[in-house]
Amino acid sequence: MDIKGIAEQLVKRGLKKGADAAEVYIETGRNLSLDVRKGDIETVQEAAASGAGIRVFVKGRMAFASSNDLGEKALEDAVGRAIEFARVTTADANNILPDDPGTTSVAGLYDPHIAQVPMDEKIDLAKRLEKLAMKDPRITKSDGASYRESEGEIVIANSNGLLKSFRSSGCGYGVSVVAEKGEQKSSGSDSCSRRFYGDLKPAEEVAAKAAREAYETLDPRPVKTQRAAVIFHADVSGALLGGILGAVDGERVLQGASFLAKKMGQKIGSERITIVDDGTREKGMASEPFDGEGVPTQKRIIVDQGVLKGFLYNTSVAKRAGVRSTGNASREGFGSLPGIGPHNFFMAAGGARLEDVIGATQSGLLVKGVTGYGINPVNGNFSGGASGFWVENGKIAFPVRGLTIAGTAEEILNGIDMVADDLDLSLTMAAPTLRVKLLQIGGE
Amino acid sequence: MTNKLFSVEDIPRRKFLELSLKGGIALAAAPALLRGAQAGQAPPRPQFALEDLNKVIRRALAKGGEFGEVYIENRVSRSILLEEGKFKSAVFGISQGAGVRVISGDKTGYAYTDDLTVEAFLRAADVASYVARGAKAVKPVDIREEKRPSYITVQVPLQTVADEKRLEIMKRAHDAALAYDARIKMASIDYYDEVRGRVIANSEGLYLTDELPLIFFIVQALAVGNDTSHMGRERLSRHAGIEMFDELKPEDAARACARESVTMLDAKAAPAGKMDVVMQNGWGGVLVHEAVGHPLEGDNIARETGVFVGKLGKPVANPKFTMVDDGTLPCFRGTTNYDDEGTPMKRNVLIQDGRLVKFMTDILSAKQLKMQRTGNGRRESFRYMPIVRMTNTFIDKGTDKPADILASTASGIYVQSLSGGSVNPTDGVFNFTCREAYLIENGKKTTPVKGATLIGNCLDVIQGIDAVGNDLDFGPGICGKGQAAEVAAGQPTVRIRGINVGGSRAR
Repeated sequence: MDIKGIAEQLVKRGLKKGADAAEVYIETGRNLSLDVRKGDIETVQEAAASGAGIRVFVKGRMAFASSNDLGEKALEDAVGRAIEFARVTTADANNILPDDPGTTSVAGLYDPHIAQVPMDEKIDLAKRLEKLAMKDPRITKSDGASYRESEGEIVIANSNGLLKSFRSSGCGYGVSVVAEKGEQKSSGSDSCSRRFYGDLKPAEEVAAKAAREAYETLDPRPVKTQRAAVIFHADVSGALLGGILGAVDGERVLQGASFLAKKMGQKIGSERITIVDDGTREKGMASEPFDGEGVPTQKRIIVDQGVLKGFLYNTSVAKRAGVRSTGNASREGFGSLPGIGPHNFFMAAGGARLEDVIGATQSGLLVKGVTGYGINPVNGNFSGGASGFWVENGKIAFPVRGLTIAGTAEEILNGIDMVADDLDLSLTMAAPTLRVKLLQIGGE
Repeated sequence: MTNKLFSVEDIPRRKFLELSLKGGIALAAAPALLRGAQAGQAPPRPQFALEDLNKVIRRALAKGGEFGEVYIENRVSRSILLEEGKFKSAVFGISQGAGVRVISGDKTGYAYTDDLTVEAFLRAADVASYVARGAKAVKPVDIREEKRPSYITVQVPLQTVADEKRLEIMKRAHDAALAYDARIKMASIDYYDEVRGRVIANSEGLYLTDELPLIFFIVQALAVGNDTSHMGRERLSRHAGIEMFDELKPEDAARACARESVTMLDAKAAPAGKMDVVMQNGWGGVLVHEAVGHPLEGDNIARETGVFVGKLGKPVANPKFTMVDDGTLPCFRGTTNYDDEGTPMKRNVLIQDGRLVKFMTDILSAKQLKMQRTGNGRRESFRYMPIVRMTNTFIDKGTDKPADILASTASGIYVQSLSGGSVNPTDGVFNFTCREAYLIENGKKTTPVKGATLIGNCLDVIQGIDAVGNDLDFGPGICGKGQAAEVAAGQPTVRIRGINVGGSRAR
């Protein structure tokens, strides 16, 4: 199928049917999903799929229609429905499409080899991962291992003459196990996702981490409700970034629905904090040559040594703010309009080692598991559940579970006094281990 | 699955606002194809001859296996956003496709296609049959059309409603929110409706077709105070026609939302540590949906990993506690006439007077556990195979008066509404975030407190529920378990002793 040809034709069809501007976003791809448990296959799922999203502007009014049938009749029908639906929306001068013909060169997004690896090898890989994770005698049950892969192509065409495409792939595998001791049950899991099959971490490493997570917090001890240092391990510290991301969304900023709305250029936290949004990183799982509406991606500093430097924009929100799109239009697929979202979103690593951070802590909590929504992007309030280890005199003393931690974004961002060197750049949203000097902990 | 956190939300969340879930496998390539399109007026639905579907089922079981199934789906959706006084976007979606499933022993093969032709179904059957290679085959029973009772009544079908009507309903909510108080600076109204057509045919000879309408209406209002802001929220949802809004008024939802936003501007820091919690009737039932419901799903029982493994027939909760999953409540968000495997919906009492009496099952887990099918096999779309899911889940009403429950609680937290939360079904540890909560002082609801997290263990909580009101009510939401399902959760006013509250100050 000539997807580019279909996209171009569809844009023309939109203009002919009465749109003043039109954009077509087409996705095609395939995916495979395997689950194994107790050494045998549990599920095998496979499919090829495709779909098109058509955005039209009629006298400044915007509407959108999608179809997962790329046949001529279905697409023609979808264009008609989008134009028809534009009757209901309000005209807005900010409803424009991008016209930058450029694409950012990003290496390592597509691995043609994934599809060539035989299915049996992938099943064996998941089986081996499960077996390795069950090796430790403290591990009593398997919740299964799985392997996933997908690959596809995205094509964008619009009436400003843009026509762009790129292919990408991804694969990953993971395992989940249970450790039991008396009445106690504890689960642990780990996974690894990569653009290239050959870059997957060894099964031994993934298995060991899943098993360790399951058994290491058995026999937890209670701690009293108190204020103390809280160390967010690199496994969980990325969760703090979610609320910051919401707060640097350019549209929320314009609406005043962000705790950072009026802080541009100001110090919002410790000088140890630098946050980057990078759509260009080689082999990055959230890298792409252009965003969800075809704007070239960038590497941008969002927070520079504690000073807020950048918000995220798509094309129409940028126009409303009087700035240029930052290449952060994000789609949840061909069926959704471009919103605003990050690429690879990182807090920069510091110089300390994890042991140094623990060693420098007289009394506090090392968090290895978090639950909840993190920082509220509207008002910066933070509250969550936590598990991990209690630290005393610079050493891990005992495991803890069922605690709460709470405060405000201001307290957390200003309170960060140590940052470790253990940032995992293979994740899409991550931070290194970091210590917040003092935070409210809820316990007994 | 490696992603062990099961979650429930009161609204769909933009992905990037979520916490990164540990252990989840995130795939960057063409992820949306895995997620399914948002999918209102359908193109004519392709009709398939029963004999063609028989052929597909036979092909699915050609290599072996004991259960074969074809599921054909067609979804037409409309979604309109009114925000900052503007109808910003209108999104129309059409999504159709089919999935073929083969079960052989404990193994499941699944393949889907968005090509609605018998040839494509046969190819999917070949792929799905991979898992059954060499297994003993069962001869499929020829399919025959069946009729089932309907729990969903429609007076004004969504397909017949003019868009102007939708806009008018949205505008009424928008204007009512802004008119509530000068501190409401913005209102955001999300309107979504869909009609989902289903065809289910399987090797047991079942053939069913139906059409399910669904409305989801979300009002959010931003209140801005001197030094803080709060975004309140209210949702309305039913499987119904547009007449839903005659009973559930958009203005009422908007005012409730605006009231929450303005009230929470005065919220003070919540205290931290273990305390008694009184939860108001309604959507608060999500707590037991997560904390107790997920661990009662038959898949994790069959895997012997869940917290309730081996506890069937035993007392697990306070004798005042009865919990029900009921997919037959008329027009509720979690109701369907039969689940996505064709099993009729039922009222399933899971915990009766504190005793565990039933697990929820789909076809596979019912077979594995040698239990009855309970009608809980559901799927997000044809892109997903069915798994065990809840429908409308609630704590059944008791005899205590809500006012007495509050008055007899010396101190603690009064939770008026929750956002959402999650549970780890293995260890039973759950967390929830309060959206509107107050201090309880001397048996009275006093100062509003900031969104605190509630955390605890499911067994502790159901043993710690010592007062159950007579005021059962419900709220609509979205349950996530690798795929999304529309659910309702409910409860009367209850008191839970000794929950850990994640406040930001010492008591």
